Amino acid sequence: MAKERITHSVGVGGPMAIHTVDGVIRRIRPVVLDETDPAGWVIKARGREYTPQRKVTMSLLGYCERDKTYAYDRIKYPMIREDFVETPDGKNRNTENRGKSGYRRATWDEALSLAAREIRRLQKTYGKETITACTSSHHSWGLVGYKISAFNRFFSMLGYTRIMDNPDSWEGFHWGAPHTYGYYWRLGGPEPFDMLEEGLKHVETLIMWSHDPDTTRGGYSAQESALWRWWMKELGIQFIYIDPFNNFSSVKHADKWIAPRMGTDSAILEAIAYVWITEGTYDKEYVAKHGHRFEEWKNHILGLGPDGTAKTPKWAEEISLVKAMDIKAIARRWASTKTAGGSGMRGGFGGACRTVGGSDYARLLVSLLAMQGMGKTGNNMWTGTCGGPMNYNFWFGGYSDPLSSIAKAPVCDHPAVNSVAQTLYRTNLPDAILDGHYEWYGEGFCGGGIDFEFTRHVYPMPGYNKVHCFWRYGGSFIGTMLDTNKWVKMYKSPELEFVVNQDIYFTPETRHADLILPACSNLERIDIGEVGNSGNGGYCSHSQTGNSWQIVVYQDKAIEPLWDSRSDYWIFAQMAERLGFGEEFTEGRDEEAWAKRFWQFSDLPKYMSWEDFKKKGYYIPPVSYKKENVDPKTGLIENWDRYPGFKWFAEGRACDTPNHKDFQEECKLGTFTGKFEFVSESMLYWAPSDEIRTPIASYKDAWEGHTTLLADKYPYGMISPHPRFDYHTHYQQHAVWLWEIPENRVIINGNPYLICRINPKTAEKKGIKDGDVVRLFNDRGSVLCVARVTRRVYPETIHVYTSSGIYNPVNYGEYMSVDKGGSINVLTPGRLMGDYIPAMVPNSCNIDVEKADPDPNYGQGFEHILHAVDKQQLETPRPLKTSAQAELVFGENDIRKEAV
Amino acid sequence: MLKPGIKKPGIAINASRCMACYACFMACKDEHCGWDTALSKSQPQLGQYWMNIVEWERGDNERHIKTATVPTPCSHCESPACMKAAKDGAVYKRPDGIVIIDPEKAKGQKQIVDACPIKAVFWNEELQLPQKCTMCAELLDDPDYPGFEPRCVEACPNQALVFGDLADPDSEISKLIAANRVTPLEGIGPGSNVVHLNVPTCFIAGTVAYPEELDEVCIGARVVATCECGTVYETVTNWAGDFEFEDLPKNKKFTVDITYEGYKPARYEVTTDTDHYVGIVYLVPEA
Repeated sequence: MAKERITHSVGVGGPMAIHTVDGVIRRIRPVVLDETDPAGWVIKARGREYTPQRKVTMSLLGYCERDKTYAYDRIKYPMIREDFVETPDGKNRNTENRGKSGYRRATWDEALSLAAREIRRLQKTYGKETITACTSSHHSWGLVGYKISAFNRFFSMLGYTRIMDNPDSWEGFHWGAPHTYGYYWRLGGPEPFDMLEEGLKHVETLIMWSHDPDTTRGGYSAQESALWRWWMKELGIQFIYIDPFNNFSSVKHADKWIAPRMGTDSAILEAIAYVWITEGTYDKEYVAKHGHRFEEWKNHILGLGPDGTAKTPKWAEEISLVKAMDIKAIARRWASTKTAGGSGMRGGFGGACRTVGGSDYARLLVSLLAMQGMGKTGNNMWTGTCGGPMNYNFWFGGYSDPLSSIAKAPVCDHPAVNSVAQTLYRTNLPDAILDGHYEWYGEGFCGGGIDFEFTRHVYPMPGYNKVHCFWRYGGSFIGTMLDTNKWVKMYKSPELEFVVNQDIYFTPETRHADLILPACSNLERIDIGEVGNSGNGGYCSHSQTGNSWQIVVYQDKAIEPLWDSRSDYWIFAQMAERLGFGEEFTEGRDEEAWAKRFWQFSDLPKYMSWEDFKKKGYYIPPVSYKKENVDPKTGLIENWDRYPGFKWFAEGRACDTPNHKDFQEECKLGTFTGKFEFVSESMLYWAPSDEIRTPIASYKDAWEGHTTLLADKYPYGMISPHPRFDYHTHYQQHAVWLWEIPENRVIINGNPYLICRINPKTAEKKGIKDGDVVRLFNDRGSVLCVARVTRRVYPETIHVYTSSGIYNPVNYGEYMSVDKGGSINVLTPGRLMGDYIPAMVPNSCNIDVEKADPDPNYGQGFEHILHAVDKQQLETPRPLKTSAQAELVFGENDIRKEAV
Repeated sequence: MLKPGIKKPGIAINASRCMACYACFMACKDEHCGWDTALSKSQPQLGQYWMNIVEWERGDNERHIKTATVPTPCSHCESPACMKAAKDGAVYKRPDGIVIIDPEKAKGQKQIVDACPIKAVFWNEELQLPQKCTMCAELLDDPDYPGFEPRCVEACPNQALVFGDLADPDSEISKLIAANRVTPLEGIGPGSNVVHLNVPTCFIAGTVAYPEELDEVCIGARVVATCECGTVYETVTNWAGDFEFEDLPKNKKFTVDITYEGYKPARYEVTTDTDHYVGIVYLVPEA
């Protein structure tokens, strides 16, 4: 065997061991445990013993990393739009050609100097607020390179108009659930601590509402929990799946699948409550003690409230098309057995909460879990993903931890603070740019308190100028953000005088930039990070409980940066240098020195020296460090410090969970009253006139759905959940191996068409056969897909996975072109959930479908642009041809010496 | 040299555990695309699936739909059809049973592709070469390779793929095979190094409910399915009013009798040509 070097890394696909031969990646395997790694935990439940396999998993995305690293669509060189003119006033720059124009290759010096000149010019003309910048989530992993770290440090030091993220994956839980049960600091999600043990020991029924755990994988926990769910099947736990699409978990595990018409889940929830109330099968004592204004809500359900409608199963059947008898059966099973349930990914996510009624859906789901005594043995908010045993006494930072950024102390000596107060809102960035004015409520992420949902924002902020420079970093929102054609239009606006795109790949958004800066991938630079850790003090904390093993990884550089790509940190350091704050930015540290700071400020030094950690590449803490917790017979760890979620509340004691607020120690929830609010006091206080998120959560017809006039023209409800074969937009365009999964894409004439799923009845009506190219369309645009004719959706629904990653307009660079890449958010509404709720609602979307012809043009429409730049490389001799030569001028070790 | 002590390396594929997560499929591509090995030439970027997953949808009614997903690599047959079709010893079976296509000798021999009864051999147009799964034997042979399983098995999170020694009756794999229903693949014959378990056959399912206007499922109704071959299967409807007979013999006529006290019995004739859901059976009260 050729001499192979093994280094380690981590991504959204899981923990990787990377084998390289002579500086080229040979293969990528999961991290392999050895005899020095600790023993696993063992859960003893119902006469059986459950312990994880002594190996870690990667999802298919982890195995695609090599394909992705050497992808055809890597940005190889710095590039400048060929018809970009550096006019002194920023006008007349042919901005209408963005998305269409080709590029010319530039040297790093040329590219960085242009960016620095433009930033200086713009700041001088309009002030610091004129620069805005934005990042995707999870296009890389690691505490140095991640967006909240290096990006944040650079732009905060520069001063910029920050673009707020919206909680796009779990909108309804974020904007709704806190009004019923608090947990705003977990952004509306539950606390699934130690729920796996509870589940294995006590749960009899699992309600998987709008939940596909095998697809969403606990966020970024690979397939770690897959085995847990087989254990639960083996124990005879009944799985109830509620989803308009018989999803990939449901079709394998469901004991019962019901399919509400899109956006009607709330009606079913109300009907279940009706059954419980009329049959007296809810926990009256619990509700009396812990519920607030339950009687009023009860009257609303029984039809004694202002609307006078009893929320009977028959009423719900007419709305949702789910049979009343099935609703009753589920209601009785839920009430008569120990039932855990929740929605999506970690229990507070899912497609149903991304509809117009999503916030009330989330509140109703929480209300129903409360009615069955949430926190009592076997009854909880949990969905079989997170909640594995974890060592909470071992601390290593996750990406959202306040302590886990090089922009903040103590990791850095000089914290970076943004001097610009003006903000923008991501979902509506195109509206703000195109209309020059935008207003909204809320902070995007409202972890600071319920009141954060109601702060009013105006762009431009009084006294501020508008933005004229957009610096886009990593990933593509053409693909994830709604009404995507707006983004194409925005990029053509002369209001944006200068657009920079810093990315690894030539993504749909990259193609709209004036200046393109090629970043290297995670595998080509040094970083440090823990698998699946979103933060132990930040939002949705302790998500690494989705893993069976807790793994902190030294993300060593497996290979040198490919072509002329550079690490994001290097790019920011170079820019800082040119703008006069290079030394402040780096504090003299390279990436390894920063990585070491995260080691230093964690619990790692207690157990592993920096040199040993670098050498081994990872560290796995045992679930308990105490020797007496080891079972002498098996050597497995049978005892650890447990803090079961919500149990403290049901048992009426001080909260002891690892992520709690002071008031919980008085056994209170994070609502105004500290109780489950069946009538929300916070809504009555902040926005009593909100017609979408009413004080009493309820089903309401949506502004786009089966009851609207639009349904006559576009009769099908489209569900577009989080993708099974991608992560946001980060894999599909790059890793071509994914195109060969028959449930993902079908390659026709060189183009990988995305699968859409339609019922046989729809197919028959429209003359469509399985495998046909079809056009999905509404007034917002058209997308070509390949039809899969399947009974996994009912006739009223069409299923397509969201965030395709590929946006491949038939007429390249044109606004409103038909897309053959499967960028389904071309069709979804750009309107926010409500006047007071700045949430996006991709699953409230009406469309029609018809048979279509495949596009006669071959392959990926953008490839000619990359080929042309490659050709320049061959034809034009360059002074800086190779990375090695470039090193002499822009050496990473010589950042501060380099001349500006 | 194979890893310590394994005489007949095998993969058991437990189809009932496969979630079609495609980790095995990708791990196989990761190992074999772009790199030649001692036993094979590089797999092209697109067009070959050495770890092919055969998938089909089961059921004729939205109320009861399942999928079958069956990883189907080369079976490493006891007497391989591809070996018989090959000239000049271009395909050979190693003493441990693993079947290898010699990447030099097999050049131009397209008949090797056509010979495979399960389409597990692929044609490399560029190299004019038949190619297929090697069970990662080149890795298992290598004393320096830090692993003990084929890449697909290592990647499987669901224990649907299990690697071990088929020659050892006490190995995990042998015990697993002994405890489960073996599904022989069409045209493969016994003795292969890859063994399929629990590949679904056919189900008959349905729902029993009280008279339609009541909107109530019927829990505990007795359902008896009688095969023309004489075998009788019996169950009761569950909390959702549903019943299911799974993995029935294929292409048989069945009589399904539904009885519940106080109601008229109901009877359905069903053939297991494919998976069937008989519908919602609304009970009619006895006069």
